[in-house]
Amino acid sequence: MVKKLTAVAAGLALSTALLAGCGGNDNNGNNQAASPAASGFAASQGASAAADNPYKDPMEISVAFWDADAEIAKIAKDPIAQEVLQKFNITLKPVNTTWDDYAQKIQMWAASDQLPDIFAIDAIGTQYQRKWVEQGVVKALPDLAKYPNLAEYFEAPDIKGLSVDGKYYTVPRRMFPSVDWSALDRVVLYRWDLAQKAGITKEPETWDEFEAMLEAITKADPEGKRIAGLTTTQNKLIGGLFWLYGNPVATSDGSGSDFKWIEEDGKLVPAVFSKKALPALQNMRDMYDKGLIDPDIALAKGSDSYDKFVSGKAAALLSGGGFVNFNGEIYEKRWKTAYPDTDITQSVKVLKPLVGPDGERAHAVFKTYWSESYFSSRVDDKKMDRIMALYDYILSPEGKDLLIYGKEGVDYKVEGGKKVMIETASLNEKYPARNFLRQLVAYETSDSYDMNNPLIANESIRKEAVDYIDWVLKNTKVPDYDIRLTYMSTPTKDKFSVLDQDDLLKVMLSKEPVEKAWNDILKSYKAKGLDKMIEEVNAKAKEEGIQ
Amino acid sequence: MADPTTARAPRRSLGKTILQYKYFYLMVLPILVWYALFSYGPMYGVTLAFKTFNYGKGILGSPWTGLDNFKTLLTDPEFRTAFFNTIVISVMKLVIHFPMPIVLAIVLYEFSRNKARRFFQTILTFPHFISWVVLAGIVMNILSKDGIYNQIAMLFGADPSSPLVDERAFRPILYITHVWREIGWDSIIYLAALAGINPELFEAAEVDGAGRFRRLLSIAWPGIKSTVSVLLILHVGQMLTQGASFEQIFNLYSSPVYSVADTIDTYIYRTSFTVGGDFGYMTAVGVVKSVISLVLLWAANTFAKRMGEQGLY
Repeated sequence: MVKKLTAVAAGLALSTALLAGCGGNDNNGNNQAASPAASGFAASQGASAAADNPYKDPMEISVAFWDADAEIAKIAKDPIAQEVLQKFNITLKPVNTTWDDYAQKIQMWAASDQLPDIFAIDAIGTQYQRKWVEQGVVKALPDLAKYPNLAEYFEAPDIKGLSVDGKYYTVPRRMFPSVDWSALDRVVLYRWDLAQKAGITKEPETWDEFEAMLEAITKADPEGKRIAGLTTTQNKLIGGLFWLYGNPVATSDGSGSDFKWIEEDGKLVPAVFSKKALPALQNMRDMYDKGLIDPDIALAKGSDSYDKFVSGKAAALLSGGGFVNFNGEIYEKRWKTAYPDTDITQSVKVLKPLVGPDGERAHAVFKTYWSESYFSSRVDDKKMDRIMALYDYILSPEGKDLLIYGKEGVDYKVEGGKKVMIETASLNEKYPARNFLRQLVAYETSDSYDMNNPLIANESIRKEAVDYIDWVLKNTKVPDYDIRLTYMSTPTKDKFSVLDQDDLLKVMLSKEPVEKAWNDILKSYKAKGLDKMIEEVNAKAKEEGIQ
Repeated sequence: MADPTTARAPRRSLGKTILQYKYFYLMVLPILVWYALFSYGPMYGVTLAFKTFNYGKGILGSPWTGLDNFKTLLTDPEFRTAFFNTIVISVMKLVIHFPMPIVLAIVLYEFSRNKARRFFQTILTFPHFISWVVLAGIVMNILSKDGIYNQIAMLFGADPSSPLVDERAFRPILYITHVWREIGWDSIIYLAALAGINPELFEAAEVDGAGRFRRLLSIAWPGIKSTVSVLLILHVGQMLTQGASFEQIFNLYSSPVYSVADTIDTYIYRTSFTVGGDFGYMTAVGVVKSVISLVLLWAANTFAKRMGEQGLY
């Protein structure tokens, strides 16, 4: 009898332990089973560590990054990535996140004290990021004097402005050297081949010309596919186009927390709520009512929209990622299979920033970075030093060259101060983890806009890209605004979000007149404390001497 | 002297009962451990509704704020919209959807032979096994610019439009697609109840001259009435969660229809993860929903008992 009871009790205890074990999730490096890729070269690290090497002790660093499992697994096939990691005697342990779940996962890990050593998220300006800093969830960066490339990196005005009481808590993932380059992150591609078939002879430069072109294409429908007008890859992007009609400072990255402020009638107000909003909204609504915008735009999804555009079911596409996505998502994945004998740059054009009602050519205005690296407060100083050293190297000229162009003398040579590629095959295949390693620290998308850089593989598209950004830098100007106001913290502002893309869609699809629809939206923002936030920001700006 | 038939049996202590049926209780133990670990244990998290969450201190160590979160909730216009939508969508789904599987079961039982019944049952049950992510894709394709809906609408001269972004059309789409997905699955239990009725009763009624309608009213309906009442109570209890199904709405809605589609669950999700709301406040929102569900369950149970049915407890 006792035996029976003991056996049953032991069985129950075992099953309970199993259940409890299934529920656990250890992201703090306690799990010694690293990925095959990471452990594969870890063995060789010990041998290579010289006695005087400051990095002689091997170190495992857990990293939460988009698709980290797959990205870190590629390290085993990438001699360059292995070389860089061996230099610092680091093994990376992947903690997977995806584009669909990263925000949720990281917040859950933060709440349950399970954050990995490094994690990637776009959280600047949000309530929870402020709490992470205040409540010691994330570790402050050490003195950057020891890391010259990182120190230089933090000199950009909108990155420098991120300090909290003189300390930095994040390394922003920079894309562009200046705000002007954000013209690249909301580009409109249009089907010039179909426009020509519809009788258009001049590439559009004004809003009227752009609308006339869309109208011509949708009416003529040259391929008989019941072509729609403008569509987008995701709704987050639409403010980046429609606010450009006379209210460009209102453009935002879609996070809800990076809205910019302008002075109007002697008072600072968020640009989205300025008087200039109504004409921009009316212009957008007119376009929708005339059938120049895809009726399904509110439900747009990335891959479907790319398909729609390439297959000739949409005349224009508002897309993120500039010419890099133009090359990757449009050309590589779709166009070259569908139209193998066509030069894509003759059929698809990128819209130049249009001349707005004020006579200015405006483009979207963002921060120079998108998303950031944070470091768990559990990371000790020794590990933090190793991470900073890795980051510093990746940002150094040597690290950059290695991760962009490959090995000198093998993949490229320098002639007359210019890099000339020797390797003709795709470097992405030869060094499949190098982009992950680069992007762990910074995107530096601007590096791709160089005729020597092979990242935009199609040379015609690369040429267009280089010409486009040159043209933008010469012909457009960034409107006035003070980034300090965007970063400013006040009790109401910290809880306030402006998801203008949602508001634009509401106005676009509303059956009410634009003014009435917009006033209803304003009312709901006022109920959430808009006026109080404006008061607080004005008072604090005065206190801090910001005009 | 007490009547031996009405005298109560002497009460046995719980300990003695457990000892007598020890092996049965041991078999139940894993389930109890499961509930304790994963259902009752995490309930301490509900205290967060009365706190402001502090990452460093965790749920237990976070400072108490009394009813502040609930006060904020009352003044939050988006919560009010979400609350109203949850009630409307749940009630309408209950009213529209609940009778349909009963009708379907009766129709299938009464009007089709065995093979045809199985065929229709399989066809109608199948959508239940497709996730809302996939079904939403199908619905979107049907209602998109190139979808069947617009192709027919354009034949009659209408401009292409997407009903999924139309405030007037969105809720009816929710109701229709919900019925489409669940009607077959929900009818199974009624079919089982109907199958449990003694066929001789139907035969006898037929001999007595009862028509189809009379047989349904006097034999089939009383036979499944108690099942209907238990399922009604269960549906009401889950009305605010499964009624205003998160997956369905989340996969179908977009910002132009938030005013008619944002429910408490989608509101919590959007605010917590997209904008970054306070966990304490979001827990308070969840607690309100649970309390309402509890009240509804109690009301439905009482109603069922008053109607002479058994109820759940």
